[in-house]
Amino acid sequence: MNGTKVDGTEVSGTVVTGTAARQAVVVTGISVLSGCGRGTKALATAVSSGTPAFTPVTRFDTTRRATAHAAELPGSPALGEALIAAVYEACHEAALLPREAAQARLLLALHSDLRIGAVVAEVARGVAEHCALPGIERVYTCACVAASTAVADAAALISAGMHERVVVAAGYLVEPDTFGVFDAGRALARDGRARPFSRDRSGLLLGDAVVAVVLESARAAGRRGAVPLARLAGWGRAGDGYHVCRPIPDGSGLVRAIEAALGRAGVGPGAVGYVNANATGSPLADAAEARALRTVFGAGGGPAVSSTKSVHGHALEASALLEFAVTVLAVRDRVLPVNSGYLGPDEDCRLDLVLDRPRYADPGYALTVNCAFGGANTALLVGVA
Amino acid sequence: MTDTNALISAMNDEASEAATTDTAPFAAAGLRVLARAHWPDSPDDVAPPIAGFIITSFVPMVAEVAERCLNRRPEPPPGARTAILLASTGGDRDTAQAIAEAVREGRRVPPLLFFQSNPNAVLGHVAGRRGLTGPVVCISPLKETDAGVPAEALSAAGLLLWDGDADEVLVIAAEQGRAPGEAGRADAALVALAP
Repeated sequence: MNGTKVDGTEVSGTVVTGTAARQAVVVTGISVLSGCGRGTKALATAVSSGTPAFTPVTRFDTTRRATAHAAELPGSPALGEALIAAVYEACHEAALLPREAAQARLLLALHSDLRIGAVVAEVARGVAEHCALPGIERVYTCACVAASTAVADAAALISAGMHERVVVAAGYLVEPDTFGVFDAGRALARDGRARPFSRDRSGLLLGDAVVAVVLESARAAGRRGAVPLARLAGWGRAGDGYHVCRPIPDGSGLVRAIEAALGRAGVGPGAVGYVNANATGSPLADAAEARALRTVFGAGGGPAVSSTKSVHGHALEASALLEFAVTVLAVRDRVLPVNSGYLGPDEDCRLDLVLDRPRYADPGYALTVNCAFGGANTALLVGVA
Repeated sequence: MTDTNALISAMNDEASEAATTDTAPFAAAGLRVLARAHWPDSPDDVAPPIAGFIITSFVPMVAEVAERCLNRRPEPPPGARTAILLASTGGDRDTAQAIAEAVREGRRVPPLLFFQSNPNAVLGHVAGRRGLTGPVVCISPLKETDAGVPAEALSAAGLLLWDGDADEVLVIAAEQGRAPGEAGRADAALVALAP
């Protein structure tokens, strides 16, 4: 796109190369509820130590399933209430005044099921009543990239000057329907552990997550004196054009998503010191992702990599936002999380994995990638604020 | 030159929320239409079943309207990246209902339902058949519309194009019938940024 007027500024060149005139996007608030507990501290402690949150499911009967485990919070939280609370907490952490929250847009990521209409209506009412937000702008349902797609759209809206502030929220709580259908598809790890990139990995485990993130232009954050947690430096998305549910074996769709994210940020692969991988513990998909990462970063000496799904499980539509939060914390705290559950190397997954203990290092830029059914791929690049 | 104010207008203008089948909403969103298709085209129109998908009437109509639209497209520029954006408020209720009933009644969940348990799956089918390598996006519009592509889907497509990860977007709006025996409907438009 050439010569577009955005927020009074002439943007020239393609979007990927014409970043100079765009608004920088920063993260100013995060709220997390996950199988690791409530809050970012519980999440950071769990992923940095590699302590898995998997326990036997108590929320419903699993006796006929191949596994009984998930990263489940105690009790049966209500999704709508949890989402409203997450948006409230993220806005509170960002120190948004009601008049500032009233100008924000809310993008929501949810599983497309028979409950979605009721949850959306409840959240729309709740955020208006308790958080001063004007309601919900859009609902994303594109499986495991739903939340990262929402983040990319939020970044596009902010960077283009269309909105100064966007809240992205996502939620998935382990429940019997998805557990049952993932079990039927033999997608769940039969040994009760998610083992991304490891030999003898047998699948994923589900996990609870309700997350909200406040994104805003650096200019708007600076104007109100907010201290950013990190910068969303780049984002990209691309499709495999390959299959209903299998990833393209060479990982080329993910490669293009990563390259788009790096291009928007104007940095090369060598600037990336950490990758929060999508890897679920799936034999096929983990290998395709490893190929994609080796294609982008080279066969040796690439960034540190871990999939924290090995700790907090796979939260489906909320997974990408949970992992975005993990990545922001890694950049802020300079602690690279552990790839837990590892039994030993798989030749198809040769990467510099963070094993056994965290690495205390400044990653410079950190990338979080996600892949989904339909060949959907996203990449979000996080930098120091 | 593309006026991004048109995109903002499409997002914010209440009047634009009424979906129509004419080209005005596309122009208002800063989009040009490369091809259109509808399903059903007639009362006896049929959407053929798709191998590997069971139970659902949602997937066949989405796949069929996508095929019809892509068959009418002009030759794409070399290397064009075509995104697929599916907008459905109700989603695939057949599949969701079948999963919920099997779980509730303690029956075996048919394994094929796993592969169709989210709306990305049918988009992967279309993208694989036609070699579409742009982003794959599904949204659930806040208001279900009776016909045409909702303005919310057009503004989402416009943003995707403006942001630069796609050169064209195949926008599909699909809703199953609400009453038993009531036919669903699907509309598709292949769009690009207006010159």
